[in-house]
Amino acid sequence: MKKLACILVGSLTLFLYSCEKDAGNSASASSEVGKGGSLAKFTIVGNYIYAVSMHYLYTVDISNPTAPVKVNQSLLSFDMETIYPYKNRLYIGSRTGLYIYSIDTASSPRLIGEAKHGRSCDPVVANDTVSYSTLKGNSFCGPATSGLYVHDVKNINNPVLKKTIPINEPIGLGIADSALYVCAAGEGLKVFKINNAYDPVINSTIPGNYFIDVIPYNDMLICWTRDGIRLYDISNRLNPQFIKLIAN
Amino acid sequence: MRQKRFWLILCSVIFLASCWDFNRKNIPPPDNQPKVLGYKPVYGAEVFAKDILYSATALPVINGGNIYAFQNYLFQVENGYGIHVIDNTNPSNAARIGFITVKGCSQMSIKNDKLYTNSYDDLIVLDFSNLSNIQIVSRLKGIFQEYRYGSPIAEPPVSGYYECPRTDSFVVKWIRDSVNQYCYKQ
Repeated sequence: MKKLACILVGSLTLFLYSCEKDAGNSASASSEVGKGGSLAKFTIVGNYIYAVSMHYLYTVDISNPTAPVKVNQSLLSFDMETIYPYKNRLYIGSRTGLYIYSIDTASSPRLIGEAKHGRSCDPVVANDTVSYSTLKGNSFCGPATSGLYVHDVKNINNPVLKKTIPINEPIGLGIADSALYVCAAGEGLKVFKINNAYDPVINSTIPGNYFIDVIPYNDMLICWTRDGIRLYDISNRLNPQFIKLIAN
Repeated sequence: MRQKRFWLILCSVIFLASCWDFNRKNIPPPDNQPKVLGYKPVYGAEVFAKDILYSATALPVINGGNIYAFQNYLFQVENGYGIHVIDNTNPSNAARIGFITVKGCSQMSIKNDKLYTNSYDDLIVLDFSNLSNIQIVSRLKGIFQEYRYGSPIAEPPVSGYYECPRTDSFVVKWIRDSVNQYCYKQ
């Protein structure tokens, strides 16, 4: 498998690397940057916007918004789905695995860890020690077992699978402190307690709607559901209180 | 050496296989195959297709995409067409208040009152500090090659047969018409 990866990279050298020096990296998300859902393919960290498409990770310097500059385009793996920033890392979900990039050198992300799995769809959220990703093994995404996958990422070079919780059709997900919210399509929104990060425990399910993605934003949970955007108050993280449906 | 060649061929096959669009059925129509009711693309000149426009009118969400939160605003991409703006100052009264037309749009992100999005393969930077006067700050043309044809607007809004769009032009909308049974959206 390693050999394959080597040859893959070696045989596909038709793209450019620009190796400009960058002027440091303020990777910590500031309040001036908004927040996207786990299915996003765009994210801003510091003075850079990172974007994934099917096969590429693009890096654009936006320190001067009137004149953005593309500084890097890397061939990743195949079928990139999502990008999630955490501190100086980018977690990239793909149909073949979870890829972790270091952005210590913000202008040229570097692959530092990966966890391969069977073909499946795969958004991911993470913090220093743990990453949660959902794999949708049915439909055209492939044969992996559908569910919530918990990886220990303390050793970033070698993520270790700690737990798998079967869910029929999981999609987007989000973390707020001790709570993990997982969209389970037509089954609703599943709320997990993650006091023990590697052992999420189901706390409740909000049924009745088709949940696609979530953004925990301060004390609010913003949910993309099939018939509109639903807002919940999550001052009590484990007990979301419905506020409003902004119907389609 | 043989082994190397094997891997090379294998990875070429894998690489090419990834080009296959599983949603699209290309059925070469027999000469006598009748046309059916489906969707036909309407093309626009690049400068027109990539025009940006803000309207302070709430539009219905037809094919909603990614969501985004920034201070008292929420946003939802209308896949292929633009971005809904939602005023969330008072969550119990949160409502759509406007729509930014950005054809070929699928992604967005915000920093310092600057909204970054894509119009087909272009990166667009918009200043929305004054909602009644959204300005284009800059445009980086053609940097996201794979967003151009992979744009959600490159397919009709609903399932059925459609006329395969040309790849040298920009689709700006779809209309009902009789079409060959070449392309099919599931």
